[in-house]
Amino acid sequence: MSSHEQHRRRVRIPLVALAVLLVIVGAVALTIGLRGQRHAPQPTAAAAVPFSTSGSTTASSAASSPTSSPTSPTASPASATLAPSGSTTHPPGSVSPSGSARTSSAPQKTRIAPKSTAPVPTLPAATITGPILPAAAPTRLQIPSIGVDSNLLQLGINADRTVEVPPLSKDSRAGWYRFSPTPGQLGPSVILGHVDSKEFGPGVFFELGALKPGETLTVDRADHTAAVFRVDRVVSYPKNRFPTLEVYGNTDHAGLRLITCGGQFDFAAGSYESNIVAYASLVSSHPA
Amino acid sequence: MSKNKKFMFVLAPAAAIGLALLAPAAASAADSTSYQATLDALNGSGGSGTFMIEVNGTQATITEHVTGLADKFGGNAYPHVQHIHIGAKGQCPTTAADANKDGVISTTEGASFYGGIGTTLSTSGDTSPAAGLTLTVAPTGGSFDYSRTTTLDSKTLDALKGGTAVVVVHGLDPATLSGTAQGEKSDLVPALPLAATSPALCGAVKASQMTTMPNGAAGTGGGSTAGVQDEALLGAGGALLVAGAVAGGLALRRRNAATN
Repeated sequence: MSSHEQHRRRVRIPLVALAVLLVIVGAVALTIGLRGQRHAPQPTAAAAVPFSTSGSTTASSAASSPTSSPTSPTASPASATLAPSGSTTHPPGSVSPSGSARTSSAPQKTRIAPKSTAPVPTLPAATITGPILPAAAPTRLQIPSIGVDSNLLQLGINADRTVEVPPLSKDSRAGWYRFSPTPGQLGPSVILGHVDSKEFGPGVFFELGALKPGETLTVDRADHTAAVFRVDRVVSYPKNRFPTLEVYGNTDHAGLRLITCGGQFDFAAGSYESNIVAYASLVSSHPA
Repeated sequence: MSKNKKFMFVLAPAAAIGLALLAPAAASAADSTSYQATLDALNGSGGSGTFMIEVNGTQATITEHVTGLADKFGGNAYPHVQHIHIGAKGQCPTTAADANKDGVISTTEGASFYGGIGTTLSTSGDTSPAAGLTLTVAPTGGSFDYSRTTTLDSKTLDALKGGTAVVVVHGLDPATLSGTAQGEKSDLVPALPLAATSPALCGAVKASQMTTMPNGAAGTGGGSTAGVQDEALLGAGGALLVAGAVAGGLALRRRNAATN
């Protein structure tokens, strides 16, 4: 009997030890795994609200029933000419492979940085607020508050007229849309970066949604000036209601738009449902 | 991330050299010009909109978004005729244009600011001034998205380049007009009320500060951080926990069996 019990005890002790060991290792693995979950920060809900220039909301107040309309306009005597005249359909964005951007040919040889105070107004008689710099291609972007330091690619436009994005690669870099003004020029300069990639994880603009108004960022330019921008606002837009003119439209200052993806990920489509756009304005410049 | 960043620092000089080589990656639309207009309400229409036009030679691709206009007219979706007006100051009219002081700037009253019709922004067919009042090819409803690729004539092209092109969208809700104006006939089509043809939105067309304005959103995410990451690690951890629990349970059972 005693030998029988001893035998059981011997088996039991390693089994208990094994159970404890397994639980500990499992718990550690789970903890590491869960703490390793990284999700890109999103702009605060308040910042994500404003949405004026787009959206398919129907007129609320206007005329559900115009009472005093003696004649329906559809019954008008106006000539109904339906002849398909000069309206040939032409695929938009037909590619001309030769044409290189006139903005991309930055004066690389200039050794002396032009004085940042010299304004170069490209629109006559337009009121310009804030400092303006002459054209010079951007080379590097630094946003200390969210740990971004990236040399910049140059990006073009796709055949469907959407903006080209940087390649999904291990060294995720941001890129300047070269058909937009150079950073510091009058107008909306556009820099894009990935929030993440399927293969390589967090991208260069992973933290863009955490950027706060008032924080500064610096763009180094090919003319050896560093353009300092201050963040005005960070907004999230659903991609299907992207306010094109708000983001890409004319401005009265040297503006910068940093763009990445955000919101919910549509696993079926393989893309995010929103774009995060950080708006910034040039505040100063100095030799790089 | 930190590893990636260090990697980036190492790569930075090499990449800077490579920059120039990468530049002609997607060279399209370099010969085209973008114009834009913000459409603001006229005659208290309460509407607003955006207008973009990409011109390549004589080809133009137009993208427009309109919201907040009169929705119905006589029970049907309201047809809003719209045009690129040319040949005047290239401006939207002020209230000073209301010559007869009826509270409505009619299309003819505003003409000294924006001129006559250069191109009709119809939904199909003719885009010449002749189609200017063809209601059957006007976009309809209180809000609409309009897009069209068409050929522009030299007069409209010159006006765009010269900064004298103005987009005007017509069609007001008669109920919003003054009593006097509600009783008036259209200055263009006498069979219609004044409201039907009067300007509701207006925007002076300006050259874009961009060489080429892109369309809409950007595809800047691959989705690696969207769902659950480190599935293998989490799975292994879970399996170990379960195995531990099973082993513990087994040990307990044996002890219980032994004490019994």
